[in-house]
Amino acid sequence: GAGQDVGRSCILVSIAGKNVMLDCGMHMGYNDDRRFPDFSYITQNGRLTDFLDCVIISHFHLDHCGALPYFSEMVGYDGPIYMTHPTKAICPILLEDYRKITVDKKGETNFFTSQMIKDCMKKVVAVHLHQTVQVDEELEIKAYYAGHVLGAAMFQIKVGCESVVYTGDYNMTPDRHLGAAWIDKCRPDLLISESTYATTIRDSKRCRERDFLKKVHETVERGGKVLIPVFALGRAQELCILLETFWERMNLKAPIYFSTGLTEKANHYYKLFITWTNQKIRKTFVQRNMFEFKHIKAFDRAFADNPGPMVVFATPGMLHAGQSLQIFRKWAGNEKNMVIMPGYCVQGTVGHKILSGQRKLEMEGRQILEVKMQVEYMSFSAHADAKGIMQLIRQAEPRNVLLVHGEAKKMEFLKQKIEQEFHVSCYMPANGETTTILTNPCIPVDISLGLLKRETAIGPLPDAKKPKLMHGTLLMKDNSFRLVSPEQALKELGLAEHQLRFTCRVHIQDPRKEHETVLRVYNHLKGILKDYSVQHLPDGSITVESILIQATAHSEDQGTKVLLVSWTYQDEELGSYLTSLLKKGLPQSTP
Amino acid sequence: YRDLHTFELQVPTRLIEWARGNRICVAGYGQSDGNEILQLIPPPTLLTKETQGLCPERDFKVECGGFSERPVYSLKYVPDTSLLVTSGPPDSSLQVWQVSAEDSDIIKSVSTIATENDTGQSWAKIATISARAPWVLHGSRLDRVQITEVESRKNVYTAASRGSEELSGLAFLDCNTLLLCCATGRLCVADIRQPQNLMEAVSAPSAPCSEQWCMGTRHGAQGLEPSCQPVARLSSRGLLTLTDLRKTSEFLALAKARVPSPGSGAEFLCVSWAPALEGYLAISGFDGTVHVYDTQSWDSSGREAEPIFVHKGHAFGGAGGSGDSPLVTVHTWHLQKPRTLFSAASDGSLHVWDWVQPCGKC
Repeated sequence: GAGQDVGRSCILVSIAGKNVMLDCGMHMGYNDDRRFPDFSYITQNGRLTDFLDCVIISHFHLDHCGALPYFSEMVGYDGPIYMTHPTKAICPILLEDYRKITVDKKGETNFFTSQMIKDCMKKVVAVHLHQTVQVDEELEIKAYYAGHVLGAAMFQIKVGCESVVYTGDYNMTPDRHLGAAWIDKCRPDLLISESTYATTIRDSKRCRERDFLKKVHETVERGGKVLIPVFALGRAQELCILLETFWERMNLKAPIYFSTGLTEKANHYYKLFITWTNQKIRKTFVQRNMFEFKHIKAFDRAFADNPGPMVVFATPGMLHAGQSLQIFRKWAGNEKNMVIMPGYCVQGTVGHKILSGQRKLEMEGRQILEVKMQVEYMSFSAHADAKGIMQLIRQAEPRNVLLVHGEAKKMEFLKQKIEQEFHVSCYMPANGETTTILTNPCIPVDISLGLLKRETAIGPLPDAKKPKLMHGTLLMKDNSFRLVSPEQALKELGLAEHQLRFTCRVHIQDPRKEHETVLRVYNHLKGILKDYSVQHLPDGSITVESILIQATAHSEDQGTKVLLVSWTYQDEELGSYLTSLLKKGLPQSTP
Repeated sequence: YRDLHTFELQVPTRLIEWARGNRICVAGYGQSDGNEILQLIPPPTLLTKETQGLCPERDFKVECGGFSERPVYSLKYVPDTSLLVTSGPPDSSLQVWQVSAEDSDIIKSVSTIATENDTGQSWAKIATISARAPWVLHGSRLDRVQITEVESRKNVYTAASRGSEELSGLAFLDCNTLLLCCATGRLCVADIRQPQNLMEAVSAPSAPCSEQWCMGTRHGAQGLEPSCQPVARLSSRGLLTLTDLRKTSEFLALAKARVPSPGSGAEFLCVSWAPALEGYLAISGFDGTVHVYDTQSWDSSGREAEPIFVHKGHAFGGAGGSGDSPLVTVHTWHLQKPRTLFSAASDGSLHVWDWVQPCGKC
């Protein structure tokens, strides 16, 4: 309904042997078990508590946490559940609200109870932003600011040197009461991002706000009343600030009210979680109370009957009970009035019905309510679009990207765009599909001190900018890796060292006697290899360092001499050089 | 304004083309590789006759996209096919693409139509038609005009050479008649059944040189002879001429628009007729505004005309700060809603606006 796509988010990640469940959402469109994720995917037998190392919830929207009590209390999970402090505070309220609608209003039976919500929340461990939390010796998690709603976070999950970042829902542009999502260059192996709004090019916020203000203004100008049902936190803040500024600028006199229960609750949460809002809010809060607006006053039930124009913010957001429903019933019959629904409404609620176009509603006691007031829907949803997704990838620099999307939409274009721009692989699995990402883990290797000292002593000095090549032997034993010198390795393994010796024959045209050829060669080499030790031995051979050169006559051709060049493996380089040098022949002028 | 919606594209576009099913297409023209061609579905609010204020579906959706290795300066859909043709620097060759939105959201590069490339040639202007077969009319200069069959890439017609001036636009008046507009302002008409003849239509009004011209033709209403629709020409100094192609010896009308001078060049000059309002046209490309004129009150005196409406949104939009104010790169009329226009600027903004008829007229 109302054109919004709400799915049930639930992702299972297996990283280095650890299993983490990301979000546990409820699908708002279904009335039966299809609304919950199918947890039998996780493990066919065995308890979830044994299989899962932890559960992480990104934010309090029901499509991300709505199935949590069902999961922990009815299916059974006793391990830790991680979420941010605001999420922990607000989640149970939403869950209880939803439970009330489903069970009390719709009379469903297979649903979690209030006690279950309480028991579930006892398993929750709250985390702070940028705080590294050790789940166990190897698994750690860290929350990053995600914008979107109060308390929403993106989570980094790390085991050793492998990591995954899950974004949940996020927004890369700040709005009036929340900042923009931010992450550091943590270079995870995988970034899991939502992509529901990736194909949209959004209307500017200014236009939406302008249209909202226009509607409110028009209604108030003709003497009508505007009802805006809200949830305690989030959009309500935005709209209050917006209206206050507008009223001030236009010097409007019509009263704006905020229902009292809302004010207290909202104030309370804002005080608790002021660090989660943006700079502007924090500044104003320091100067004054969040709800001490000049033009916005506390509401009293009696005011609803006052004549004349007014604007009222009241809970709950879907018009399913309480004050907002009461006010709605009073005002619905007058076509001068207007109700502006701020978000998605669950099926079965009055909000959902009027947004679907119903104008005759059945209330308690079989009363029929005729809805003549104008019904408007407002979408100020804050999700990342394609530009935002690219920005986040640029910030985090993941090695792979996985896009999560609601329906089986064709996203080839975005996939190619990401792959082309960042040269990473992009995956978009369907529900129920498993994707395997190959990572290149770093394996630590111990190096023997002796080897390290020896290798650093030869060749150029160590340079922070240039990698230095070292030679050693890698020993793998019992899951440990060590780098030692070849001698050490041979000793440990009880092996004898082999010696390799190369011999090469070089033919030289020289009709003179052998010992004269040897002399020629000796003088030639002595002249060229000034930095090396070139010696002419009494037995008629020449040595260059440890390389041996001997001359013999060719068996069939007296005019040709055969030089035997022989070297060990250690002198390979010099040996090859000498051979190619001699192959070029001797200069004529040497005596 | 009756309505104004502002959007921001990731990169600016210099074209807005209508496609089947009320889609529009935009494309990047930046210097580097990786320019995107995007086919967008406008939000439902903009397609319905009534304006809904707070409807949830207010966003453009990218239906499909393609990647072009060169900047896209011009794009035309080939009617009755799933193909489109693009052109852009560094040469006058054309790129052919396939759009198959149902199967995949990628606009695939299919083939290239190569042309003779002399040095100093700029990019080709294009027009398409699918009368006898899917054809594309293209050329960067007056002596390089040809029609190529899109699928087979066979040359079907080459225009007789009448000079080597650079072209600023070309169009099919009907399946046999071509209209070519040179940057100097000269208009030529050709009949493809007589390739040796290139009929000179109208020369530009005499003026100090270094004025660049572009043209706008009206997609005629059904039943009307296309050649009886007046052709509008716009110069970089703001001069507007209306010509009836049947009486080319005189101007139907001549007027001057109030534009800043010196102009910012003729790169983005654009003039277009309203499809649903008789005698209305819009111009842009001088600054961050779009002007709408009612030409029915014009005469041939050449005096300054008063615009019916000026859209200034692009000049105010943007991040502010850096001195350069954005330049409107292109505008186009909505095909059904009579007073709705789309305009794009060099800062990536895309506006959709609907103006109110000033009192006294209806």
